[in-house]
Amino acid sequence: MANVVLAPDRWAMVDFDPERVRAIASELADAAGLPADREVVIELNDTSPLGRYSLDSMDPIRVSMESGAFEDPKHPRQLSEGGAAGVLGRLFFRAADRLTDGFAAAPEDADLTPETGIAWEVHAAGRLARTGRQAQRQRWIYHFRNRHGFSDEGDAAFDRLWSADDLTWADIEALSASALAATPA
Amino acid sequence: MRKAHPVEDLARDERFVRVDIQDRISDPRSVKNSRMRTQARLTPERPDSADAARALMHGIFVGEIQALEGAGRTCWDFETGDGRDEAPFALKLDMARQCWDEARHCEISVKLSDWMGTEIGEFSEGAFLYAAACNPDPVLRLTGVNRALEGLAIDVFNTMREFGEIAGDPVLEFCEDWMLADEVTHVKMGSDWLRRLTADDPERRKDALEFQRIVDKLFSLGGFRSDEDDSPVKLARRFRELAGFDDAEIDEIADLASQALEEARTRQEAAAALASA
Repeated sequence: MANVVLAPDRWAMVDFDPERVRAIASELADAAGLPADREVVIELNDTSPLGRYSLDSMDPIRVSMESGAFEDPKHPRQLSEGGAAGVLGRLFFRAADRLTDGFAAAPEDADLTPETGIAWEVHAAGRLARTGRQAQRQRWIYHFRNRHGFSDEGDAAFDRLWSADDLTWADIEALSASALAATPA
Repeated sequence: MRKAHPVEDLARDERFVRVDIQDRISDPRSVKNSRMRTQARLTPERPDSADAARALMHGIFVGEIQALEGAGRTCWDFETGDGRDEAPFALKLDMARQCWDEARHCEISVKLSDWMGTEIGEFSEGAFLYAAACNPDPVLRLTGVNRALEGLAIDVFNTMREFGEIAGDPVLEFCEDWMLADEVTHVKMGSDWLRRLTADDPERRKDALEFQRIVDKLFSLGGFRSDEDDSPVKLARRFRELAGFDDAEIDEIADLASQALEEARTRQEAAAALASA
């Protein structure tokens, strides 16, 4: 089981239980296949209600997010365990990808284009869904269509990203490009 | 059937959870996020745009339910007549037509939610639209709901229509465009009935416009809706003109939105200081 570190280890502006967050993260790190000897740092910014999140470094694996990413949309400032698992699961699947040769050429998260970024998210979300956790397939196809256009070819690329278990970075780039190429001018 | 049905008694199933709007506006977390205002305009370039659009669409959906409930109540709550506590038959006919529109909007919104990957009740419900529809004076009710809140709906639908157009989403764009056309009619009904019923009663008109100002300011939502380009929802000046607003009235709403933004910032700073203490 990965060593999960919260930074900071408690929060003033949201009512999230740090132990629950740590437990969810440990479970998801295992599900995504992160090595047990890796340290995983979770940096949560409780001063922002927005929901942005990112994978910032690999050694240690450091992920950061604004508090809205973990928040229950129906109960302000309360933890959504399903939502937190969704965000952490997608981040950890992408971190596990980066540990493989097939993703050696992937740019840093900050340098991903919006299109390739969402394509990689879809690939992570599909694998997370197959572990029995948050799926929301229609939500993700809507995200994908907003970045790649609304076309049958784009939907076919989405299906491949969602259903595959072993794509490389080159595959993700190619699927994103094929969807974009089908977008009406 | 009783009259003046209170907001607490609205029928909802277990999927719906209500959150007080003041709780949202006073959230102490907002103040420290310096990026929030500059990235707030809802465009496909925003990293969170798809989820922001889903949340806004859900807000529209619950607003449509409450608009249907409110217009239905106005048909029922008042005796037919021309007295101050009565509603003319023609006004009730307009409200019945509005019910028909809002029912269609509910169905459109449910289908749009499916399209965008949103479950009914995925987000919280604010009951502010129906609360404005509980005013005991039919003129104030129409001014608060049809002119102020349906006016806000014009701004929101126009924003979503533009979002769908830029993103290339034909379903969203056309659905919003059709609903926007209805909203312009609803606001025009409010403007017309305000002028007609208060033509010989300047005090009542003053009260109605003051009620509208209160609602408009409250539902500028701390700057969420304003005349600024970086607001999530921008005042749709052209469509408001079509709905019977003159330039001075639109400028006044823009001023109220600026005041609401400043007041929200002050409240958030106070709440943040309290939370950090």
